[in-house]
Amino acid sequence: MSAAPLIETIDVSKQFGDFVALKSANISVVAGRVLGFVGSNGAGKSTLIRVITGAHSPSSGELKVRGQRIENADPALMRRLGVACIYQHSSLVPALSAIDNIFLGRQIRNRLRLIDHRAQRRRLEEVMTQFGIVIDPHEFIENLSPVAQKEVEILKALVANADVILMDEPTAWLSLIEVKALQDTIRKLTSAGKGVVYISHVLDEVFEICDDITILRDGTMVWTGPTEDIDRPQLVNRMVGNVLDSTVRVAPKAQGHSRSTAKAYLSVSKLTRKDSFKDVTFDVYAGEILSFAGLIGSGRTEVAKVLFGDDKPTSGQIMKQGSEVTLKSPREAIAHGICLLPEDRHAEGLCLEHTTLENTVIPSLDVLTKHSILSQSAMADLCRRQIHNLNILPPDPDKVVGRMSGGNQQKVLLGKWIEKQPQLLILDEPTVGVDVGAKAEIYTTIRNLRDAGAAVIVISSDIEEIMTLSDRILVFKNGEIADEFDGSKIDNDTLISAIGG
Amino acid sequence: MLTKIRHNASHLALPIALITLSLIFTLAEPAFLSPDNLNGILRQVALTGIMAIFMTFVIMTGGIDLSIGPVMALAGLAAYFAIFGAGLPIGIAVFLGILTGAAVGAINGLAIVSLRIPPIIMTLGMLSIVRGFALLMGGPDLHQIRDEPAYTFLGNGLVMGWPVSVWVFLLLTVMMTWTQKRTSFGLLVSSIGDNARAVHLSGRSTGKTVCLVYILSGVGAAIAGILLSSQVHTASATYGEFGTELDVIAAVVLGGANLMGGKGSVFRTFLGVLLLGVINNGLNIMNVPVDQQLMFKGAIIIVALSLSEWAQRTRKV
Repeated sequence: MSAAPLIETIDVSKQFGDFVALKSANISVVAGRVLGFVGSNGAGKSTLIRVITGAHSPSSGELKVRGQRIENADPALMRRLGVACIYQHSSLVPALSAIDNIFLGRQIRNRLRLIDHRAQRRRLEEVMTQFGIVIDPHEFIENLSPVAQKEVEILKALVANADVILMDEPTAWLSLIEVKALQDTIRKLTSAGKGVVYISHVLDEVFEICDDITILRDGTMVWTGPTEDIDRPQLVNRMVGNVLDSTVRVAPKAQGHSRSTAKAYLSVSKLTRKDSFKDVTFDVYAGEILSFAGLIGSGRTEVAKVLFGDDKPTSGQIMKQGSEVTLKSPREAIAHGICLLPEDRHAEGLCLEHTTLENTVIPSLDVLTKHSILSQSAMADLCRRQIHNLNILPPDPDKVVGRMSGGNQQKVLLGKWIEKQPQLLILDEPTVGVDVGAKAEIYTTIRNLRDAGAAVIVISSDIEEIMTLSDRILVFKNGEIADEFDGSKIDNDTLISAIGG
Repeated sequence: MLTKIRHNASHLALPIALITLSLIFTLAEPAFLSPDNLNGILRQVALTGIMAIFMTFVIMTGGIDLSIGPVMALAGLAAYFAIFGAGLPIGIAVFLGILTGAAVGAINGLAIVSLRIPPIIMTLGMLSIVRGFALLMGGPDLHQIRDEPAYTFLGNGLVMGWPVSVWVFLLLTVMMTWTQKRTSFGLLVSSIGDNARAVHLSGRSTGKTVCLVYILSGVGAAIAGILLSSQVHTASATYGEFGTELDVIAAVVLGGANLMGGKGSVFRTFLGVLLLGVINNGLNIMNVPVDQQLMFKGAIIIVALSLSEWAQRTRKV
């Protein structure tokens, strides 16, 4: 421990014009330890990472690598000094094999300047044995599971002799089991003397894997220290200030729902889609939050797609308030009062080049137009209503959605459906990549919808989210419903073992 | 300062380029600014402009329409045969001509939407099919249009000092700018280009909108084709020669529309059309030989597009 830290920032600040993105940050990445950055979106995590990777030059302060002060850092220099970054979205080329991706840009060449495949293979195997990470080098990236893709990115960094590996939301698209696998890999890295920086919104993971934690808020480091010196409520408290202290962890427990008296809003029986799920039977009632728990690939999202008319079932029956419905398209489902907030907000949810206003009005165009002519005032009213209702920031109808934070993008998506006054709202992973503050607001909105009498289905891989929100929980396993729990009578461990067991 | 310029570049680039080039041409040849010459520029660009307005919508959905050249020829021939073959009144003949364009556009649109054929392949095929069909109808000859003052008026008549074709161009620019900003069709076109899947999952029918976009493009080409046949007093299967569509696409792209789909603007396309017209006319007036003109024009297009690309790249960070 006497050696200088791999990376150290001393009073590093970064200003953009008048805006201070980072104020005198002091962090040190030490060999063999995992340092976690936590903070809401916009707290300065990304700025700090960009300083460390050389993408931003600090406005003041020093950046040191192994005790040496670095002037005029740029991304190429920092890479040479052994800093690698793995981003939330994969930076691999899907159509190339794992090994070609790993050596992309730094191919080993023979005397004829041709790629020396043998030498590359040997080097990769060396690294794989050294760190105990095993992948099939010749498999194409598009055929690899999400966690294997992350491992390829890690190997890519290791082959380039990286000593510090930054991971920005590496688990955002991973299932529970895959997260465990990734954490094992991270431990192998640290025991081999690498330094790791780990950024995640999922606090469970941060507590699980990080040795040290740095909490950022509004560009300022509010706390830093070893993980054992802080507990969860304290951490959340420091992250979001005192505003939300009770909302996140100790969320109001769902009250048991009196279903015996009510009639089911939607009854699904023996619903089957070949190779996705089979014999799925359940009821969902008005005024309840029903959660689909389970691993990625257990059939939850696939059932939701069928309920939204986006996929066709092979067999089975969907009854809405006692009469059978066939949903041939999202359009028909929406006409029946069923709305879906998709899992991947970038690919399926939002028009990123468009504004908050344009995104929120699209499902409601029927009521906003007369002979296809848009009513400007009705559109502005609708958008203002949702900005106000959901606390969308910035509160500007003309802000381009692609330039907003993840939490606010999700609120825009939510706003466009609330405006349709859904009778059944299905939310698929409603808070992936969303900061804690926005998360609490989204939960409140979901509860308000339920209290107003809507049926709500939440699909989530986040146990905490399911525990916080659910009135009732269905556990999916291998395309079938394996278990059903009452949300008020279940504890974490029972649910986790039901999902994984 | 640089970031500020970059930030506004995409909005201001076109007007600035138009003014700068006009200044240069005026300094080199004062006659450039004469009313007659400016009038001439508008007349020269009107037909390209009419097609570019509708091509803007096509490109905004992420598609392209390569079949507009032969549609011009087909529409002219259809009108010719309606007048001289069937003896129909001019109004109906013009209507039939436009209808042929709409029909070609509908075939394009339906194939792209329901058979999921990529637009560039479908319209490339139609480029050849429609040309072949026009030749089948009209043969290789020029068909003279004589003694039909009403038809001739469309291409050569003046209304308040300006040719009819210029009025059509300006009127369509105003109408389609309004359509883009004030109708659900306008909003859906750009949303589909941005994220068609999201629009579909929002319960909107993307197919109808995409189909309509190609029908409009066909209509635009047909209007241009009829005006052309009237201007030159002939209809021929060879009009709208290869390269017509490329000028139209260049104007749209100069106007800032993204070839990958998404945001775009009819009004900026209008400016893009004027810019191309000013370049052509200015080089002509300075007596630059045709070979050098073509090279100049290409270089200006590349520089202009790289600048707007540069501006957009930095705004994303």
